[in-house]
Amino acid sequence: MKHHRIRVSEFGWGEGAFSSSLKRRLLHPKCFAIRLLPQREGWSAARLGGLMQRFLSGLRDGVGFDILLISIAMLFLIAMAGLPLVYNVLMSFQQVDMFTLGSFIRPFAGIQNYIDVVRQPEFWLVTRNTAVFVFFSMAGQFVLGFALALFFAQKFPGAATIRGLFLVSWVMPGLVVGAIWSWILAGDFGVLNAILKSLGIIQSNIFWKSDPSVSIWAVIIANIWLGLAFNMLLLSVGLAGISRDLYEAAELDGANAFQRFWTITLPMMRSTIGAVLSLGLIGTLQQFDLFPAITEGGPANTSTVAQYWSWQMSFQLYDFAKGATISVMMLVLVLFASIIYVRSTRHEVRG
Amino acid sequence: MKLHFAALMAAASIGAMSLATPAFAQVTLKIWSIDGVDRPGIADTWSKEFDEANEDIVVEYRAVPFDELVNETLRAFATGNAPDIVSFDNPDFAMFSSRGAMLDITDRVKNSEILSKAQYFEGPLNSVTWDGKLYGIPKYTDTIGVFYNKDLFAKAGITEPPQTWDEFAADAEKLTDSAAGVYGATFSARAGEEGTFQFLPIIQMSGGGYDHVNTEGAAQVLDLWKKMIDNGWASKDVLSLGQWDSTGTFNSGNAAMAVSGPWEVDRMIEDAKFDWGVTLLPTITEGGDRSSALGGFDWGIMSTTKHPDEAFRALEFFSSKDGTMFEDFGNLPARADIALPASGDAHKDAALKVFQEQLKYAQPRGPHPEWQKISKAIYDAMQAALTGQMSSKDALDQAQASIDTILGK
Repeated sequence: MKHHRIRVSEFGWGEGAFSSSLKRRLLHPKCFAIRLLPQREGWSAARLGGLMQRFLSGLRDGVGFDILLISIAMLFLIAMAGLPLVYNVLMSFQQVDMFTLGSFIRPFAGIQNYIDVVRQPEFWLVTRNTAVFVFFSMAGQFVLGFALALFFAQKFPGAATIRGLFLVSWVMPGLVVGAIWSWILAGDFGVLNAILKSLGIIQSNIFWKSDPSVSIWAVIIANIWLGLAFNMLLLSVGLAGISRDLYEAAELDGANAFQRFWTITLPMMRSTIGAVLSLGLIGTLQQFDLFPAITEGGPANTSTVAQYWSWQMSFQLYDFAKGATISVMMLVLVLFASIIYVRSTRHEVRG
Repeated sequence: MKLHFAALMAAASIGAMSLATPAFAQVTLKIWSIDGVDRPGIADTWSKEFDEANEDIVVEYRAVPFDELVNETLRAFATGNAPDIVSFDNPDFAMFSSRGAMLDITDRVKNSEILSKAQYFEGPLNSVTWDGKLYGIPKYTDTIGVFYNKDLFAKAGITEPPQTWDEFAADAEKLTDSAAGVYGATFSARAGEEGTFQFLPIIQMSGGGYDHVNTEGAAQVLDLWKKMIDNGWASKDVLSLGQWDSTGTFNSGNAAMAVSGPWEVDRMIEDAKFDWGVTLLPTITEGGDRSSALGGFDWGIMSTTKHPDEAFRALEFFSSKDGTMFEDFGNLPARADIALPASGDAHKDAALKVFQEQLKYAQPRGPHPEWQKISKAIYDAMQAALTGQMSSKDALDQAQASIDTILGK
């Protein structure tokens, strides 16, 4: 770190002279990160030569190159993530209609949008659905994913190949998965109903997509299937990172399988589990494709979750302010979860 | 000699090419519509013909999928890239016309030799009217009625199609044959515009409208629909099926009646292996008020156009082709003054006659700039009642409260 600081101060942008075209290029708004560096009057050929040399040597010894790479990344982050985020938060405090979408300055609405969102008759239903969807999707993906990861960690012929096959679900686009599950879960002529009936588990068809008591579960089932492979993969990597010696030592001490899992596997996997769960939370809150493909949030909003509701507000009802407000509420939730995650990994056990 | 001939041909063709290039400036018109995404339709075909018929105008046609049309146009309008002419679904039109995004063509139509307000049905015309001014012209129209399977009716011993909703439910019970996988009826009570499209007419025939939805008659019919679903006379999936898929179950013989529109006729002639007919949408009481949904698209010129004269010429051209619309595309012109030619298919001609009769009772959705929100209040109430989450009356009362807020009452 120290080394870098010295080199940066030596780099000395401000001392040299720029050619006018270079100056113009650097003054371009897109280069504002560079523009922040101090400039002085008085350009001369000698100074320019000196500067160029420093600039080139800066690129060569890596420090200037670091700055270049960082500024590209920063610019990209600001343009692609920062500005839209600010725009979105701003929009949630404004009165927005579709004809003022392009401008930043709009009538200020205070927290009226937030009050309006909470007062929507479907607000609490959507909140409950979102909680159910997130909890059970994550629980299903994690528990089944962990079980599969442990299973494939055993050495048996074909383990790696079969594990590879599971990745098919992860490779498929959400909309395609949604369309396939939509057929499987269809009420009158669905595959799942036909199977359950022939096994004698159900007597009459379950209307997965049209029955308010099961519609959210239709999407959860599809989502667990979709996210299972990703969970399994990350957890497998975590399992592979645990030293065999620990298990051997534990076995010599007479620890049984359950004790080994509880005192070695779980603690050693702590950071992996934290990462899997936080990625799972983000992935689940991002899951959108399955909703339009399977239930469209219906019937009677019983399978509408926050992210679908936000889209519906913005792009079906053209109420962009409410759409933005819902997504800001979700953002706060994710931030909160991220803080918990970051705190939990502070006391990480490293293998 | 041969060489000479070739040189002559080359010279002649160069001459012809330079002649074909017009000496005067050309105007480019951008036209957007949903037609032509999957198969040729009205807007793409006629745009091309208009382009070819006018040397001074070049048409750039763009087919935008239905779900993206409004969004895409909003964005284009906000960033100053709006098309000159756009064709919207009729309930979406008011959002644009009420906000000054469409060109006021009241006077142009008044002075036009080709277009006149009088030639159009009242419902479609209302959808392009805002604040007494005309912002567009209807493109085509459609509505809904009841398709019924005559073979299944005969088997159940029913001689006449239902005239009231009570009869509709009673017939549905008799026609249901769960062992054979046949439901008595199917319709679309989906959470979306299609759901409102099928349910709003019930509100209207009970004396209400989009601004007054909690009528006693509407609650009664909702109770009937719920009864049909609960008793298995209609599939539970009517809550999630769109009209096209819902009517698909009718075509395959799995439903004896289907509420749907004239766009189904061509497919039904292909797919249905039975005798079928169409009847008007039932009323609440015998001989009671009729209503039906008003579907169809409108043409409009966007207010940002730099070529209003050429754009209006395009609208005149489109309107002059209304007479061949049904023959070429199967869409019904929104005009009372055009007699549709017989197709020669008995089913089709009979169906068409009923739908033209039904059009007389068709009422528009709105027009209102916040139609989508009103529509959601209506289909949410319908779904809440049909799934038993609320009583029909409570659900409609809640919808009324939401709609009052939207209308600023």
